[in-house]
This record gives sequence, structure tokens and C-alpha cells, in this order.
Amino acid sequence: MNPMGTKKLGIGTAIVLLIVCVSCVFPLFWMLIISLKTKTQTYDPSIWFFSPTFENYKNVFANRHALDYLRNSSIVVVLTTLFSIFIGGMAAYGFARFEFKKKENKAFWVLSLRMLPPMASVIPIFVMASLLGVLDTHLVLIICYMLFNIPFTIWMMRSFFEEIPLALEEAAFVDGASRFQVFMKVILPLATPGLIATAIFCIINSWNEFVFALFLTSADASTLPTTVTLFLSVSGVVWGEMSAIGIVTIMPVLLFAMIVQKYMIRGLTFGGVK
Amino acid sequence: MIRSYFQKKPHLVYIMPAMIILGALTFIPTLFLYVLSVSDYELGYSSFNFVGLDNFIRLFSGRDPEFWYSVMISLGFMVIVTVVELLLGFWLAVLLDREFKLKFLVFACMIVPIAMTPSITGQVWKLMMNAEYGVLNYFLQFIGAKVIWLSGENAFWSTVLVDVWQNTPFVALIIYAGIRSLPSDPYEAAAIDGANRLQIFRNITMPLLWPMILLAVIFRAIDSLKTFDIPYSLTQGGPGSATEFLSLHVYRLGFAQTGWVGRSAAVSVVLLILTTVISMILIRAYRKGVENKG
Repeated sequence: MNPMGTKKLGIGTAIVLLIVCVSCVFPLFWMLIISLKTKTQTYDPSIWFFSPTFENYKNVFANRHALDYLRNSSIVVVLTTLFSIFIGGMAAYGFARFEFKKKENKAFWVLSLRMLPPMASVIPIFVMASLLGVLDTHLVLIICYMLFNIPFTIWMMRSFFEEIPLALEEAAFVDGASRFQVFMKVILPLATPGLIATAIFCIINSWNEFVFALFLTSADASTLPTTVTLFLSVSGVVWGEMSAIGIVTIMPVLLFAMIVQKYMIRGLTFGGVK
Repeated sequence: MIRSYFQKKPHLVYIMPAMIILGALTFIPTLFLYVLSVSDYELGYSSFNFVGLDNFIRLFSGRDPEFWYSVMISLGFMVIVTVVELLLGFWLAVLLDREFKLKFLVFACMIVPIAMTPSITGQVWKLMMNAEYGVLNYFLQFIGAKVIWLSGENAFWSTVLVDVWQNTPFVALIIYAGIRSLPSDPYEAAAIDGANRLQIFRNITMPLLWPMILLAVIFRAIDSLKTFDIPYSLTQGGPGSATEFLSLHVYRLGFAQTGWVGRSAAVSVVLLILTTVISMILIRAYRKGVENKG
């Protein structure tokens, strides 16, 4: 039974959905096209067929240090994800399996951290980091990204842990296992798909993060999203290179997003919608 | 003694590390932000004075018209973007709620905007919205139209357009998930009672979908209020200060043009309070809805 009406795909709906698909993909497609054009071709949008050139990609890697940005992004993203998954996963188990005072208030405090404007925390962190001399290091970004990755992990993993039947744990307790052994040997293996999905969302969110990276890094630890600062002036923008580095930035996240497509809604709503 | 304390409260071992890290990462910077906001600290100067509430008095006495303009367009942007994305997302979700073979392809396409790095999104659209060489005007010329997308009067609406492009699929996915999980019993009962479609929609569908809709509103309203990435790479707050949302105002005041960290801290305190109040209202409504449902 379908509550909302007809189930068939009419021709009108099909056309609307086709338009939706095209408009979703078009900017990506257009960026790809521009990145494969020569400099003069980029100024003429009427050229659709041309022999592609990889000049822009070569320039981006040779002259614009794309490899350094890529390396910085990878280091920061991998380390912050590992720490967040470990610390947040433990807390998620605590929230999923124990009853304690003001549990929901604590959980919603964690959720409210997701709402903090990064612009408000980045100013004091910038001043503190410059006093401590850790500006423009991977470390400061790794720590800052835990600010949104740990809350995400807690809510996401909590929803996965709560799906694991209690009976499985109780069976292990009867066999004489300790609580921590149960967590490591029973719960974590069962929650592996959830752990992987959560990790991938942490990777995507950290990879795309812009405000902290813009403020706290300048040269040595800059990540890929900050490359937009290279192309801010309107006149004399090298559109080809700009698009090439854009493609380099978004391809990994697109790939990851396709992998976790099944968990997409859950990941986007902090485990709120399954 | 510590051991027995932890035995009495076994959950602490699990949640303590996360709570301590999150607490330290939020309380210390927030405290420091308040300290900065009552100082005249400037970038590059080592000494600074406490100036009391001067920074706030400047904001609220109307001596800083740009600040009020930022507040107005930020709130306007939040409302417009949330409403448009909600309506479009709802419509899209209803359209998707039927069976067809290529559905997976539609979802795959919708993931592109969701996953795309927001700062890069702004950049691509800057390319496409270029008045002379942009592809949007190339398409428009076929119907004899031309739009200066990033001019003073259009830049705000162009930013809205880009945000709608990036986030409508997200709203659509949430509401789609909600529609898919609707139970069928109330509808059967309604059909037996002879309710019409409008009554069914108003009395059954809306209440059941309400938590999902609220969830989408929470995420979209808060995220659009603090928007930074897209306008930063699309317009840099310009032309002039046409699209200088609060976050961009903070950035320009404290870091981009002038080094007035003290004053920009005061503006971000305002931003922080605005987001906190709005998210508290929305989260409270959401909790009520969820906990009533059981």
C-alpha cells in the first residue's frame, strides 16, 4: 500500500527527474570539460568537442604544489578519523548500553556541538595556536576536526550499536567475558559495517572542511579546499588549472560517497534517520 | 577508591575520554572568545587593553551599519534557503516515491551535490556564472536573455541558487526516507472512514513526517545561518558588501582586510548566540516530537 498516491512513473515525472539528474551532475561535468581545455578554449563555452589536453593537470601538479595539498589533506583526514572513531566509538557504546543520570541531556549537548559556528571557535583557536606556535601544522587541524568528528561518531555509532541485540552480549557475559572483552570481541566485529560507514563520513567531512583550514594553515599544512584562495581574483584567472585542482579535490570524496550510498541518509542526519 | 567509583559508574570509562576532549575543545575557546570580544586585540600587536563592552556598544548603537546589514542578509538567507530547499526537497521526495528501474541512477546523481566540497562548489559556479564566458549565459543566449549573475543586485540570489543546488538533494533524501517508513495501517483506517486526500495529508501524513521535516529544518537552518564556504569562493562577500554574511563579516573584520580581532570576536559572539538560540529552539521541538512518538 502506498500512502502518497500513484506508484507508476508518468512521462511528466520522468522528465522532471531527468532535469534534476542533469542539473545535479552538470557542474561536475562542466568542471571536467574546462579542466581538459586549453587556455583559449576555456573562454568559449560554445566549444563542446575538442581534443582533450592534460596540460592543466600537469601544471597543477608541477607549479601549484597539488601533491603537497593532497598529502596534507590525506594526513589530516586519516589521523583525525582514526582518533575520532576510537574515542567516539567508545563513548557511543557508553551511550548505547548504559543507563545513567541525564544521559539524553549529555547526548544532546554532544549533538549541539554540531551546530557551533566554526567561525566562533576558529578565532580563539587561531590566537591560542599562534601563542603556542602550532599554527600551520597538521596537529592543530587534526585536533580541531575532532570537534565535529567525535560528536558525529557518537551519534552515528550509537544508532548502530543499539541495533545489536542485547542477547548476544548476555551470552558472552555468561561465558565469563568482561565488559571490555565483550566490546572488543563481540560488539565491534558485529558493528564493522557501521564503523566503516562512520569512518568514511568522517573522511568526507574532514576532507571538505574549509574554515579551520583557511584560518589555521598558510603554507606547510594547507589542505585541498584552501586551493580556492589561489584563484580568487576575477581577472586573469586560469580557469583550466582551477578546474583541474577542483576535480582532484572532489573525486576522492565522490568515490567514497558512492561507497556509503546505502548509509547516506543515516550519515547526513547523525544517525537520526535510518 | 577510584576503582570502586568507576565500578559504581561503569559508563564513565567509555564516555569520559570523549566528553573531556569535547569539553576542552569547546569551553576553552569559547571562554577565550569572550575574553577577546571585550579587548581591542589587533593582529600583529603584542599588547592589548580591555575595553569593556565597547565592541558590543559599537555594534548595537548603530555605529556599524555593515554589521546590521550582515545580520539581516544572514537571517534572510537562512529563511529563504530553508524554505525553498524544504519545498523543492519535499516535491522531489514525492516524485521519487514510486518504483522504476533507473532509480539508483537518480540517487547516484543526487549524491554529487551532497558530496561536493562546498568551497569548490562556489568556485565551479563562479565559472559557470561568469557574465561573459560563463556557460549559464551561453545557454540563456538561446532564448535571448543575459543575466549578470554576480552583480550587486543579483549576487545574493545567485548565492541562494548555489546553496539550493548543493543542499536540496540532502533534504529530499531525508524526506524520502520519511515517506518510505510511513506505516500503512492509519491509511487503511482512513480509507475505510472515507477521508479525502487533503484530510489524509493533513491529519496523517504531516504528523508522521514531522520529525523528519524538523530534522531537515534543523540542519539546513543552522548550516545556512553560518554559511561561509560557498559565498567565500563565489563572491568573497562582494560586490561591495552585497553578500557579506555574518561569517564573512567576521572574517573581513578580523583577518582579511583589517586585523581587528577584538571587534570581529564581538561579531562572532553575536553569531554564536544567534545559532545557539535557534538551534536550542529547533532541537527542543525535535526532541519533543521524537519522545512523544516513543
